[in-house]
Amino acid sequence: MSRMHTPEETKAAMHEVVAEMYDRIVKGEPPTMTLPVRTKNNIGFDKKLGVYKYGKKQSIRDATSLGSAKQLLRALHVVEFIEEMLDAGKSSTLREMYYISESWGMGKFGSQNESNNLAEDLEIVTKCLREDFKLRPEEDGARMIGNLTLRERNRRGEWMRINARDDVGDSGYGVPYNVELEKIELLEHDIDFIMAIETGGMFDRLIENGFDEDFRCGLLHLKGQPARSTRRIMKRMSEEWDLPVVVFLDGDPWSFRIFASIAYGAIKTAHISEYLATPSATYLGITADDIVAYDLPSDDLSKKDIEALNAELSDPRFADSWWQDQINMMLELGKKAEQQSLAKYGLDFVTETYLPEKLAELGLA
Amino acid sequence: MSGIAQKLASNQKQVAISEFFEKNKHFLGFDSLARSLITAVKEAVDNALDACEEARILPTIRIQISKLDPKKDIIKLVVEDNGPGIPQKSIEKVFGQLLFGSRFHAIRQSRGQQGIGITGVVMYCQLTTGRTTHVRSKIATEPTAAIVDIGLDTRKNKATKANAGREMWYNEDGSSKEHGTEITAQMKAKYQKGRQSVWQYLRMTSIVNPHAEIIFIDPEGEKHHWTRVTERLPTKVESIKPHPHGIELGQLQRMVSESNDLNLNHFLLNNFSGVTNRARKELCQAAELEGTRKMKTLKGDDIRQLLEAFQGERLFNGQPAKLLKPPTNCLSPIEEILIKKGLSKTIDSRFVTTLTRVPSVTQGNPFQVEVGLIFGGTMAGDKPVEILRFANRVPLMYQQGGCLLTKAIESVDWRQYGLDQAGGKGVPKGPAAILVHLASTNVQFTSEAKEALADNGEVMEEARKAMLEMGRGLRKHLEKKKKMAKTKEKFELINDILPAIAEKSAQLLNRPVPELSGSITKIMSAVICESTTEWNKETKQTDVDIVLFNYTTRPRAYTILATWPEKSGAKMENNDTGGRKEALGVWAWKLEALQPGERKHITYSLSGLERGDWTETEILFRGAQDVIGATKMDEKFLQEIRRQEQLFLEGENENTQSAQTKNESSPEPNPQEAPIAATAPVTTEIVEPAVAPPEGQRTLFGGDV
Repeated sequence: MSRMHTPEETKAAMHEVVAEMYDRIVKGEPPTMTLPVRTKNNIGFDKKLGVYKYGKKQSIRDATSLGSAKQLLRALHVVEFIEEMLDAGKSSTLREMYYISESWGMGKFGSQNESNNLAEDLEIVTKCLREDFKLRPEEDGARMIGNLTLRERNRRGEWMRINARDDVGDSGYGVPYNVELEKIELLEHDIDFIMAIETGGMFDRLIENGFDEDFRCGLLHLKGQPARSTRRIMKRMSEEWDLPVVVFLDGDPWSFRIFASIAYGAIKTAHISEYLATPSATYLGITADDIVAYDLPSDDLSKKDIEALNAELSDPRFADSWWQDQINMMLELGKKAEQQSLAKYGLDFVTETYLPEKLAELGLA
Repeated sequence: MSGIAQKLASNQKQVAISEFFEKNKHFLGFDSLARSLITAVKEAVDNALDACEEARILPTIRIQISKLDPKKDIIKLVVEDNGPGIPQKSIEKVFGQLLFGSRFHAIRQSRGQQGIGITGVVMYCQLTTGRTTHVRSKIATEPTAAIVDIGLDTRKNKATKANAGREMWYNEDGSSKEHGTEITAQMKAKYQKGRQSVWQYLRMTSIVNPHAEIIFIDPEGEKHHWTRVTERLPTKVESIKPHPHGIELGQLQRMVSESNDLNLNHFLLNNFSGVTNRARKELCQAAELEGTRKMKTLKGDDIRQLLEAFQGERLFNGQPAKLLKPPTNCLSPIEEILIKKGLSKTIDSRFVTTLTRVPSVTQGNPFQVEVGLIFGGTMAGDKPVEILRFANRVPLMYQQGGCLLTKAIESVDWRQYGLDQAGGKGVPKGPAAILVHLASTNVQFTSEAKEALADNGEVMEEARKAMLEMGRGLRKHLEKKKKMAKTKEKFELINDILPAIAEKSAQLLNRPVPELSGSITKIMSAVICESTTEWNKETKQTDVDIVLFNYTTRPRAYTILATWPEKSGAKMENNDTGGRKEALGVWAWKLEALQPGERKHITYSLSGLERGDWTETEILFRGAQDVIGATKMDEKFLQEIRRQEQLFLEGENENTQSAQTKNESSPEPNPQEAPIAATAPVTTEIVEPAVAPPEGQRTLFGGDV
C-alpha cells in the first residue's frame, strides 16, 4: 500500500527521473522518460491487493520529436517547481501550476489537461502521490452525513472534532482534498454501512426522509465521477471501521464506470489503485433488472451509450459474469434509467420500498 | 438575337434609339440595374487602360460612385484617368460614336471587345435619367482642359453637345493636371457588393493590370486602393492580318467587296497572314480561280470556292494548301511574374504559382493561355475556390458555369494536388483562387453577352495542361511545407529544447551541463537543406542562400539543383560555388562529400529582377540519402523543362524583331493619335455586327465626324 513520502524521499524519487534524461544525454543519446502504458490494455488484476493495477507494458517518451521533447522539458520544470514548494512548505492547485507554467518559456503547458497528465505521469514514475508533490486537485470532495465522528486539522493547525450528523447542516460534512492521517483521523461511528450516492438530488431525498437514521448508515454524495479524496475516504472508512460500502447510482453505462473506479480502480489512476479503490464495495442499483422489475421510466440508449457498454464488455474490470449479464441485458433492453425515476411511485418509494428491498438482498436491512 | 438586329437594320427606317437600346440591352450589358453600373465602370476603365497603354503611360484611375437618390436608384459615377487626354474635336467622336464599321481585317489582341463602348453609357444615362454626361479632358500640349456635356436627343435620334468650353483643371493638391480624361455620369443603377460587383470587377482588373493604380471610392465613402506593383507596361501588340484558316464567309465577302487590290493574287498576298507566294498559287489552284481575276469580278460562288480552299476542303494535289502559321507576336500575355504580383497584392496567401504557356494557334487565330493559382492565407478553406476568368485582360464576371475556362478547371482531378473536390469533378474546394487568362486575336464567346468563352478543343487542351502543371506546383509546395514544418520542429528541438533539457537536468542534479552533439546527431539522423531567397535593398538583387547540414554519422555526397527565373531575363551573379546550367532555369552544383556534422553554403545573387519577382527558390537534389528541405530530382520534370525550353527558344527567334521594336518604343505620350486608336477597338470577332445601328447612322452625330 502506498503511503505518504517525506520531502527528501519525494525529491530523491524525482531526481531518478531527471537522472534518466541526464545520463542519456551524457551517453550521446536522446533523453528519455519511461512510464507504463496508461490504457485499459495495460491494466491487470492484482490478486494480492484486490484491485486493478498497470501491467508491464512500458512506453518510452524520447526527445526525438518536438512534442515529446517538450514533455520532458515540462517534467523538469514541474520537478523544479515541486522542489520549491517542498522547500517553502507551500502547496498549489493543478490549475495554479498550469498558470505558473506561463513563465516556463518553452516548457509552458499548452492546456490544463497537459499539466494534469504530467502530474500523474510523475506520480506513476516516482511512485509518490500528488499529495507528496503538494499539488491539489481542482475538483471538490464529497459531502457526507451520518452518525460518524472524525477529527480534522484546520488551517490554523488545530484539530477539530466533527460529528457528521450533529455538527453539520443539511449540506453535510465537506470532505477536504487531503484526507490523509496528517489531516483527518477517523474517531468513532454508530452506523452499519456506508452508502455512496451518485446524484445530489437523491442524496438530499434520503436526508430529508431520514434514511441515514432509520437504516443506521453514512451517506456519501459522489458528485458524479468521484474525486480522489472521496474515493480515498471511502476506502479509509471501509478499512479502518470495517464497514460495508454500497453504491447507489443511475442505471447507465457511465454509472458502471463510476462503480468500477470505486471498487477496482480507475484506469487513469491505476498506479495508486490500492490506495484509492474499495474492493469490497457493492453495486446496489440501479441495475438493468431493476428497470424491468420496477418498471422504471427509462430513456433509449444513445449511440455513445452503446459504444460505452461495448467497451465495458472488453474491460477486464467488468469481466465477471454478473457484470457481463448486466451489460448484455442493458444492451438488449436498449434502455437506461436514472435514480430519480423511482419517484414514479412517490417520494417515499425509494426509502420505503426500493432501498429496503435491495439492502435486504445484501443482508443489510 | 441577330435576327432582331438585322430586322432593325434593314426594315425600320425610323427606329428610336431608345427602342433600339431597350431591345438589345441584354447584350449591351444594361439588362439589370446592378449590371448597368458594372458595364458603365467597365467601359470607362477599359478606355482609360487602353489609352494609357497606347500612349505608354502608367495608368492611375480613380472611380467614385455615389448615390444621388437611393429611393430611385440614381447613381453618380465619376471616372478619372491620367491618360493622354482627348483633343477637343475628338471628344464628340469618342463619346458619340457607335462602334461599327471599323476596319475588321486588322487583327490583334484588344480589350475593347465587349459592349458598344462608352457611347452606350452616354445613351443609358440619357435614357434613364435624362441627364447628359459631362466630359473633361486635357492633353499635355494645351494649357487648359476641354469640357463638354454629351447627351442624346431621343426625338431626333442624335447625339447632342452642350456647354462646350475650356477650363483649368487642378489636381487635389492644387497643381494643374497634365493630361487625362474624366467623365461624370448620372444613371439609374444599383450598387451591389459581392461576386458580381464593381468592386470585384476593379479587383480583377487590377490583378491582370499590375501596372495600373486603381482607386475606388464606394457609395459609403470607403476607399479601396489597388496599388501599382510594376512599372512595366504591357508589351505593345502588333496588328496582324487574318489567317485564311480563321476566315468566315461573311468576312471574306466583305474583304472582297472592299478590296482595292489589283487582282486575286495581290488580294491574297496583301490581306492575309501565313500566305506565301507558294501558298497563294496553291490556294488559287485549289479554288479553281485565276490569280489574275479582278476583284470586282468575284461573285458568290467564286468566294465560296476560295473559302473552301482556305479551309482545306478544296485540295491542291490532293493536299490542303500549305500555309504558314500566323505570327504570335500580336499577343500580349501578362506574363508569369506579373500575374504573380497582381495576385499577391490582391489576395493574401502563402503560395502563388503562375504559368504562361507558349502561344498556339486555333483556326488561324493565335492564342495563349495563362494561369495562376494562389493558395493559403486568409481564404476560406471549405468553400469552392474563387475562379478569376479573363479574356484579353478583361474580367469575365457572369456565366461562370458555361465558360470554357471553368470547364478546363473542372476537368482536372484536383484531389491529387491537395484540394478537395467531390468525386474528382467540378470546381474544387479549398483556400485557393485560380486565375485563367486567354489572350487571343479572336475570342469566341458562347453568346452576345460575352461573358463565357465558347468550347474549343485546342484552347481547352492548353488550359488543361496549364492547370495540371500548376497543380503539380501546388502539390510540391504542400509537400515541401509539410517537410519544412517538420524540419523547423527538429531545429527547434535541437536548438532550443534539447539545450534547455540538458541545462535544467544538470541544474536539478547539481552536475555539469553535458555535451549535446551526440544526442543531436541521433535525434536528427538526416541531411537537411535550408534556403532563403531575399531581396537585397542595397544591391537591388535577389540573394539566395542554400545551406546543407549533414546530421548523420556518415559522409554524404550530393548534386544540388536550384530553380531561378532565367526565362524572365534574370542573371546569376556572385555564384562562387560555380556549378553548371542543367536546363532552362535550373542550375546545378556537384558538392564534395559532406562530413558528419559538416555544413556547406551555396550563395548567389540574381540581377535583372524587381523586388518581389522571385521569392521562393525550389531546391532539388541528386543523391542516395534523402535531404529534408529539398526535393529529389524527378528526371521527367527535367525533360518537361527541356521541352518547354525548346519551344521557348523557337518562339524567341520568331519574335526577335518585335521584341526589339517593343524595347525601342517611345514612352512619350502621343496625345494626337492615341485617343482615337484607343477608343476605336478592332472587334474582329464580330464578323457581322450583332447590333446593327439604326439606318444611316454611323455615329450618334449622324455620321458627320
